[in-house]
Amino acid sequence: MDWLEDELRQALRRKDPSPDFEARVMAAARRRPVLTMPRWLAAAAALLVITSAGLGYRYHRGQAAKAQVMTAMRLTGSKLSRIQMQIKAARP
Amino acid sequence: MRIVRTVTLACAVAAALWAQQLKLNLDHLAGKASDSVDVSLNNSMLQFAAKFLDGKDPDEAAVKRLIAGIDGIYIRSYEFKQDGAWSQADLDQVRNQLKAPDWSRILGIKSAEEGDSAEVHVCNQNGKITGVVILVTGAKEFTVANIVGAVSLESLADLGGHFGLPRLEQQKGTKKR
Repeated sequence: MDWLEDELRQALRRKDPSPDFEARVMAAARRRPVLTMPRWLAAAAALLVITSAGLGYRYHRGQAAKAQVMTAMRLTGSKLSRIQMQIKAARP
Repeated sequence: MRIVRTVTLACAVAAALWAQQLKLNLDHLAGKASDSVDVSLNNSMLQFAAKFLDGKDPDEAAVKRLIAGIDGIYIRSYEFKQDGAWSQADLDQVRNQLKAPDWSRILGIKSAEEGDSAEVHVCNQNGKITGVVILVTGAKEFTVANIVGAVSLESLADLGGHFGLPRLEQQKGTKKR
């Protein structure tokens, strides 16, 4: 097992970076532009999403209320119509 | 003083609406029904819905005109596959709320053969119609429609001719739209 320990010790041995390592890292960091979004744009996007969701929910609720009103009126109209037909039928 | 007057007025309005709006405890019929319609729309929901009604569509325009002065629509309609699903107590529960002096029955039809009956009650306050109840029952049907607020009977009659329904006849002397 000595050879394995030697190999591991060799591989994990502390190794100092090359003298130009820091300069190379800094140069690479400078080359890659960091994508940052302006705060106002993020706020505007959030506002747009919230407003759209609110309008969508309002529209959905409005359509549901409208459907209920139309159902109510259709039903009421049909009952009144039936009543009138019954009156007509009862007339001599 | 102004607050007292406002609160008094609000209480008076609430009391008036309370008289016109029926308490419909008919949920137990929903479980037995093959088809049911349950509509509860208060004034704010009606006005909200009105914003979504298309004035160019004849059906929607008629509904828009009708709901303009209405404070609420409450409908319970049940259709059953079997006879005897509803009881006399259910009918009495509704009828007992339609009492004089506010309420009066303007129409009542009963078919002895088929056992169907239909009634129209109106709530009169200070000479104005402030509520209408249409009660239609049959062996396999139970429907109660309660319209709260300044209901125009002409506008109600105007519903005929819309939704594929035949136009309702209007009595001589009443205005036609």
